[in-house]
Amino acid sequence: MSSSIQWKWYGMLLLTVAMQILFLRDLAIGNLGFCFLYLWALVKAPIQTPTALLLIGSFALGWVVDIFYNTHGMHAFACVFIAMLRPVIFKILTPANGYDERSSVSLAEMKALWFFPYLFSMMFVHHVILFLLEAMDGSLIGISLLRAFFSAFLGILIFGLLELFSQTK
Amino acid sequence: MNQLFQFLLRQRIFLLFVALELVNLWGIFKYNDYQHTFYFNTTNRWAASFLAMGEEAKSYHQLREVNQDLAQENARLHAEIFKLTAQKQPESKIPYFISDGMLKRYQPIACKVIDQSTQMSQNYLTIDKGSRDGIAPGMAVISSTGVVGKVMSCTPDLSLIVSVLHTGNNVSAKIKSTGELGYIKWAGYQSEVADLQDVSKYKKVVKGDTIVTSDYNAVFPPNIPIGIVAKVGLEKDETFHDIKVMLLTHFSTLKYVYVIKNKLSAQQALLEQAKPKPE
Repeated sequence: MSSSIQWKWYGMLLLTVAMQILFLRDLAIGNLGFCFLYLWALVKAPIQTPTALLLIGSFALGWVVDIFYNTHGMHAFACVFIAMLRPVIFKILTPANGYDERSSVSLAEMKALWFFPYLFSMMFVHHVILFLLEAMDGSLIGISLLRAFFSAFLGILIFGLLELFSQTK
Repeated sequence: MNQLFQFLLRQRIFLLFVALELVNLWGIFKYNDYQHTFYFNTTNRWAASFLAMGEEAKSYHQLREVNQDLAQENARLHAEIFKLTAQKQPESKIPYFISDGMLKRYQPIACKVIDQSTQMSQNYLTIDKGSRDGIAPGMAVISSTGVVGKVMSCTPDLSLIVSVLHTGNNVSAKIKSTGELGYIKWAGYQSEVADLQDVSKYKKVVKGDTIVTSDYNAVFPPNIPIGIVAKVGLEKDETFHDIKVMLLTHFSTLKYVYVIKNKLSAQQALLEQAKPKPE
């Protein structure tokens, strides 16, 4: 991974988190779809990133978002969880020729059949955990799952668009 | 060695994951009002149900003392009832005032049954109070539901009671609704049932009538419940009803009884001794 891509990743990290806490915080589509753009950095982190680093990074990321969302610990919990889940998904989705040093998480490089299942499982698990933690009530499981599904769908849409734009560059 | 190191490394990551998630959970339950309340309520409920369990066990342990207290209280209430019923104005035109001596005539003492039988044809009970507590032979013994028997003999600390379930221990009785007199006699078997005898076949007796002690009873205070008429039979050539009475006292589970001290019994005996004997 070249350093220019790395710098781009850091830039996008700051940008997505800033957008999340400044604009997307109050955005809800039909009370069901919520956009969690800040996951971009976690989703797009290089495949070879050590898991420990990823865990600590996602913890910090979630905690920062939590501070602005006033939901102490919930985003961090979900983020750390999917950070732990990421290597497992990688293992399940291993392409025929395996990962090499130059592989990065992108639609252009890994193709849709790898990218979208990966994205969906990450988003959906994150949202399910987040909404259930937020509701903390057995009678709200239905609406929480519905929200998680819609939000994951929305996430795929937005992340897919981002990928398409970065592809054209 | 390398494998061990790899293994530890993997475990280290997992431990890091667990630690981070624990920190997050702590944050969730500590700093979010709703989640904090949820946690607090849930743990409170568990703690409360646990404590309630302990409390239940403790109260079971205390049942012995509670029973003792209740028996004492019952004795007090019995005394009150005797007083009130004695006070009640009889339905007569002649003005009647009850004397103070009559009013405080019956004094119940709560006692615990420490030994008893119900299966013999002559049954006795042993109770844990004796002459030291003011109990003397001849006193009536009742339970909270009905008659039990009468005191036969006393030691300083214990007393022996002849149960109603004794073929030789008859109790003068009446039918509560009509006032018909008779006496209760146990047949010698079945601890739940006794016979009411001496009720004329020309008097009406209905199944379900309550049988109580009569007013002329030398031992028992009047109107102590004995039993309920369970069966009324009549032989063609008999003069009396054949009445089976379901006893109200459950002898087999009897725990506490009340010995009734009759303060006027000595006076009564003295008076009746002076009756001229028919030659």
